[in-house]
Amino acid sequence: MKQTLSLLSILAAVPALAEDTRQLDAHEHGVGVLNIAIEGITVAMEFNAPGADIVGFEYAAESEADRAAVDAAVATLAAPLDLFVLPAEAECSVTQAIAGLESEEAHGEHADHDDHAGHGQHEEHDDHAEHDDHAEHEEHAGEAGHTEFHAEYTLTCANPMALTEIGFAYFDTFENARELEVQIITSSGAQAFEVQRDAPVLDLRSLF
Amino acid sequence: MILRLAIASLFARALTVGMTILAIALSVALYLGVEKVRTGAKASFADTISGTDLIVGARSGSVQLLLYSVFRIGNATNNVTWESYQDIAARSDVDWIVPISLGDSHRQFRVMGTTQDFFEHYKYRQGRSLEMVEGIVMDDIFDTVIGADVAATLGYSVDDPIVVAHGLASFTEHKDQPFRVSGILAKTGTPVDRTVIVSLEAIEAIHVDWQSGAQIPGQSTPADVIRQMELTPKAVTAALVGVESPLQTFALQRAINEYPEEPLLAILPGVALQELWGIVGIAETALLAVSTMVVVTALIGMMATIFSSLSERRREMAIFRAMGAKPMTILSLLVLEAMLMAAIGALLGLALLYVGLMIAQPVLDSAFGLWLPIDAPTMREAAVILAVIGAGAIVSLVPAFRAYRMSLADGMMVKT
Repeated sequence: MKQTLSLLSILAAVPALAEDTRQLDAHEHGVGVLNIAIEGITVAMEFNAPGADIVGFEYAAESEADRAAVDAAVATLAAPLDLFVLPAEAECSVTQAIAGLESEEAHGEHADHDDHAGHGQHEEHDDHAEHDDHAEHEEHAGEAGHTEFHAEYTLTCANPMALTEIGFAYFDTFENARELEVQIITSSGAQAFEVQRDAPVLDLRSLF
Repeated sequence: MILRLAIASLFARALTVGMTILAIALSVALYLGVEKVRTGAKASFADTISGTDLIVGARSGSVQLLLYSVFRIGNATNNVTWESYQDIAARSDVDWIVPISLGDSHRQFRVMGTTQDFFEHYKYRQGRSLEMVEGIVMDDIFDTVIGADVAATLGYSVDDPIVVAHGLASFTEHKDQPFRVSGILAKTGTPVDRTVIVSLEAIEAIHVDWQSGAQIPGQSTPADVIRQMELTPKAVTAALVGVESPLQTFALQRAINEYPEEPLLAILPGVALQELWGIVGIAETALLAVSTMVVVTALIGMMATIFSSLSERRREMAIFRAMGAKPMTILSLLVLEAMLMAAIGALLGLALLYVGLMIAQPVLDSAFGLWLPIDAPTMREAAVILAVIGAGAIVSLVPAFRAYRMSLADGMMVKT
């Protein structure tokens, strides 16, 4: 009996240990990440930027104004072609756009997000309430709470060969953003670029 | 008219003009050659691995992971446990996965444990596959496939025995489990040339009688018994991964990077290569700077010869003036001559480059694995030639302007 008990306690201890995994992504203010993968006529994009770049603060939105700013930012991020301008000849249209705000804590929250975002931007209000909880949680932990905006886009480009450049109106829209690290995967492999605020155009001709 | 005059004038001074042109030609050939080697080296470097979407290893840095998994430089900080490897392999977005196990060596060459899939999925130079020159892919647990450099340096041929040493710079050899060369790979110009490839199980097999880094005395399991044993590895060093669709690459990369059970790192080989080249690439800039200076020196040399020719040609200039040539005509004659010299020199340099390439191409490929394609001149090379001609014109303006000012009076005065 005793043995069974100790075995049980070991079993119980295992998940507890697993939950104790601590890791935190790198977070650099002013620098966002844009990943682009192109296959055939489908273009998948992933965007990540610190809250400081997009809305100028990273604490959980408290005042009405803060919440409005976050909502406006999420709405703006949900329109990728206004931020990342693709050549008209490529004939790209957005088939899916998901944008949201996530705190760096708790990856379990991730799933929540996708659900909510799928329903449309308005329902994300509920989501923010959750965020507030989390933020409090973070404050308890004593760590400075960093937040990141995250967006995923799927585009269809009728003429992908015409994707010769990307113009980053993103920098005009978000004044705190300084740099965007762009990684592009095409059939010819992966390449990385750094796009700076003062030269907001990326030449992609070398990729094709 | 003035062009004919310029050409005739150059022919009249064939020797000095010829030497000047030769200097320009050599400098241009050097510059373009350096440029070729530079781009060739960069391309060869980027071509070390292709067709692999992600490289997975223990969490460290992307350059470090690339260095040990692809270039076999340095060592892994940690291994990837077999469970994690299986987890990744089982994901639906993973098309194929090839494990790599490093850590043992044969003489100065690294031994790499992998599966037969490596030969199918490892691609270099825009999708070229590994090819066997001799023999077959390993088939038995004690078979090895060796790279071209290994075979050449150690003089191995198919069926020769090989003894793998434990660790990298150690003298303890796994003498009890000798291997056999089953195949030799064709030269690729990649680190595979310097690798001894064995099966993943073989890496386990050679360590069967070893504990804590030393052989258990008096214990030696016969090869046949080992063949019967369960030789699932406990860990691998890294893995090459191909995804089902490029669209899933980033999602898979993130999933691996955030894998909670074990700190893992997935990198995009192309991006890591670019990062690494950013470190190595400083040397290329230095090389380019030096060869630019050589071109500048050749042009200044041309200026010097034009200057010294001016004193020889005082009378000539004066006669031109006396016959009604304007000072402007004298200036343009000299500039035109200089441009002709620069143009002939640059074109000759280009020709020299191609001759040199044709001679050096096979040598460079076999000795350094550096493949320099012989293509038609690029826009960049055309721009270099135009720049040299333009620079020749600018440089010649200095002596030409001197001639412009003093041609008549100077030439008419009897000095000699």
